[in-house]
Amino acid sequence: MRDAWDLAQLALLLLQVDPHSLGGVWLKAGYSPARQTWLAQLHALGLPVTRMPHHIDQERMLGGIDLSVTLAQGRVVEQMGLLAQADQGLVVVPMSEKLSPQTLAMLLQAHDQGQVHALAIGATHASRFGLVALDESQEDEPGVASKLKERLALWINIDAVDIAKSQEKIEHLSAHELAEVRALLVKIQPKEEEMRALCEVAFALGIDSMRAPLLALRLACVHAAIHDRAFLEEEDLRIAAQMVLSPRAISMPYNQDTESVPSPEPTPQPDTSNTEQDAEQEDAPTPPTTEPESLVDTILAAALASLPPKLLDQLLLGASKSKLQSSSGNSGQAHMSRQRGRPLSPRLGRPTSGARLHLLATLRAAAPKQKLRTKHAGQKIAIRTEDFYIQRFAHKAASCIIVAMDASGSAALARLAEAKGAVEILLQQSYARRDSVCVIAFRGAQAQTLLPATRSLVRAKKALAGLPGGGGTPIALALKHATEQAQALQRQGITPLLVMLSDGKANVTIDGVGGRTQAQADALQWAKQWATHGFTSLWIDTAVQPTGQAQELANVMQGRYLPMPYVASQRLADAMQFAHAR
Amino acid sequence: MAKTFPFAAIVGQDEMGMALQIVAVDPTVGGVLVLGDRGTGKSTAVRALADLLPPIDVVQACPYGCSPKDSSGACDACAELKQNGKVKTAKRPVPVVDLPLGATEDRVVGALDLEKALSQGVKKFAPGLLAQANRGFLYIDEVNLLEDHLVDLLIDVAASGENVVEREGLSVRHPAKFVLIGSGNPEEGELRPQLLDRFGLSVEVRTPQDLDIRVQVVKRRDAFDRDPEGFKAQWSDANTKLRQRILKAQKSLPALEIPDDLLHTCAKVCHALGTDGLRAELTLMRATRAFAALSGAKKVSATHLRKIAPLALRHRLRRNPLDDTGSGERVQRCLQEVLG
Repeated sequence: MRDAWDLAQLALLLLQVDPHSLGGVWLKAGYSPARQTWLAQLHALGLPVTRMPHHIDQERMLGGIDLSVTLAQGRVVEQMGLLAQADQGLVVVPMSEKLSPQTLAMLLQAHDQGQVHALAIGATHASRFGLVALDESQEDEPGVASKLKERLALWINIDAVDIAKSQEKIEHLSAHELAEVRALLVKIQPKEEEMRALCEVAFALGIDSMRAPLLALRLACVHAAIHDRAFLEEEDLRIAAQMVLSPRAISMPYNQDTESVPSPEPTPQPDTSNTEQDAEQEDAPTPPTTEPESLVDTILAAALASLPPKLLDQLLLGASKSKLQSSSGNSGQAHMSRQRGRPLSPRLGRPTSGARLHLLATLRAAAPKQKLRTKHAGQKIAIRTEDFYIQRFAHKAASCIIVAMDASGSAALARLAEAKGAVEILLQQSYARRDSVCVIAFRGAQAQTLLPATRSLVRAKKALAGLPGGGGTPIALALKHATEQAQALQRQGITPLLVMLSDGKANVTIDGVGGRTQAQADALQWAKQWATHGFTSLWIDTAVQPTGQAQELANVMQGRYLPMPYVASQRLADAMQFAHAR
Repeated sequence: MAKTFPFAAIVGQDEMGMALQIVAVDPTVGGVLVLGDRGTGKSTAVRALADLLPPIDVVQACPYGCSPKDSSGACDACAELKQNGKVKTAKRPVPVVDLPLGATEDRVVGALDLEKALSQGVKKFAPGLLAQANRGFLYIDEVNLLEDHLVDLLIDVAASGENVVEREGLSVRHPAKFVLIGSGNPEEGELRPQLLDRFGLSVEVRTPQDLDIRVQVVKRRDAFDRDPEGFKAQWSDANTKLRQRILKAQKSLPALEIPDDLLHTCAKVCHALGTDGLRAELTLMRATRAFAALSGAKKVSATHLRKIAPLALRHRLRRNPLDDTGSGERVQRCLQEVLG
């Protein structure tokens, strides 16, 4: 069994042979000797390596007008962009988890098409590069955007590699060897059964994207070429499954094949959506396959043996497929602003009403027109109002966690205490993130704001400590109140997130009177209301024996659901991260 | 030019393929919005369109690629050419223009020709992407992440079919009639309703859930990556067949009539679904007709309508908080009620 470091070493070789078709590497590692060693080796591969800071501007990335030379020579001189310069080489992106959606979109467009369009000039250059995305995100931070990860064949995590191990270095290919391997690679024709095997394994692991089996196939071919073969062997497919497919696994395979495979972990009980899907897959008539079952089995076994340990936790948390990974790597909605935040690309406009002039872009716009303009004596540059570019910024909005506590009689006293404990952990978390907190309590015929949005941890704790229990469960009232709070917060530019602590057993209607049936209907209706606003939510089911009512409501709210038995401190914190990352 | 995957070789995305063919037959249907998961071949299909469509006649030297038959006089460049003597005709492939997310306004609408301004001191307009896309397709990947000011611009041009440039001391207007094709993942951002409205059809794509189809996808993609030229040659017959079908449909379209009772049905469905304005009805009617033409039918029938209605209507429905069924199903249900 190869460990993470061996795979990381192998990845270097694979990357050297075919950086572009493999997409690249997602290297999850903090600053460590192992990472430094790996990066030094990467630079020694003989491929051109370009570093791209995550805050790079469009002009530099895609290319555009070279301002100083253009002004000096009186003709348009192009400045090559970084991505065009990196053609046939590698682009290293440190802190790739911080890439803005716009930068990321441009990067991936160039990567997908293998060419890049320069700004303002319209020239097109080849940009067939491999990406090395360095990810230093912490456990509790949203990581690299999934649309970036999904294009990279090699996912490597060397966080756990110690210094001694990191001394074992692989020899990279010499120029001569490289040419031979690349010549061999062209000749490899994968057989249909080999493609089928990879597709089948990807399918069994619940991987939906078609890129995964394609990248796995590509990797298998490169691996075969490195080992001086013009055909694929089982070993190549096993490595491909291990490196490409298993890190992407979404669900454990449920068919009978699994029983013959010694699973490294106890098979988890994933959430219902996964089970349903698997059931569907089993119902579908399986096409008659001619290839021996054993090929799929062995590859699947290889993939299972290297499943990431975190996967089980993620499945337990009931993270749905799409929500498992953050979409953009940003928490809090981004807002446009003229004064503060991360700079966006400048645009034409007058520097009025608080907008600041973008001097460089203005000069750039004016530069080519100098010959057209008659200059006054002594005037070096003629700038007109039509040249004005203004600065734009985007700043991240603050977020506020609305905690809605069920203090009714059905939330038995012991559970209430436990829930309070959970909320305290949550508050500590949010405090570290500089979010504000707002606490709502509901019981009997009312839902009230116990504590308006605050950043004071102490006040929030006090408000919770003094919370009495008893009475009916007015879920609908609570949701109505929470929706109103969320709307008010959003109007202030704050992104709301609701954490609901309740068993979901509604028995008080929206009008504050008893009646189980009507109360539940009301609750569902307000859950739908919540969902239509598109706010994020997390429902923690406080019932001793969850009956499914809370889960149903959480689903209707399109939020996350977490039964209390699983709310160990760390898991809760993780769940919060997931909810946030959306 | 990046190599494009043959349209005919695309596996498993029937609805998307159909929608793209429909707008190819009748561009007045409007744009196509493709929503779906990652890695489902959205971009591949759109870029493949360029190869599929027959070349068009253009006025030689007209930067906007106007048709020689166009006598509306909307294009200043053509008018100038006509004044100076004979207009020559040339053939050109239908443009499929990629609008990159990071494109500047200059690049999209066109700007001062920098080269000419610098070297000769002449003020001349350099056409942008909108000019290039005239009479063809404008493709925006991740349309839901497009910057707001570009969205404003597109909304205006897509509706008027004309690009008006009043900046940098230039005053230019030129035809910019194109079919807007957008793709994106709805989880990453919402589309503004005004832009949503500019799309005639919307399709949802998902990864095929059938193993055989998946294997086919991998097999063909791998063959294409390995030898793009050889793969294209292998599929050229199938592509030609598809092209013939579109050509035939384009020809038969004017003669194809829609029976009055079907028009009534269109109106009834739109009314029952509460779509705003007449645009929905018009799109539904045109798309149904184009689909009938593609199927080689002599008459437009309710079967065609049933097939097309979800594509033409589902992105126009108001979200109903008390009904969480998919909008496609709601359209189907409504059709069931109206058609019986």
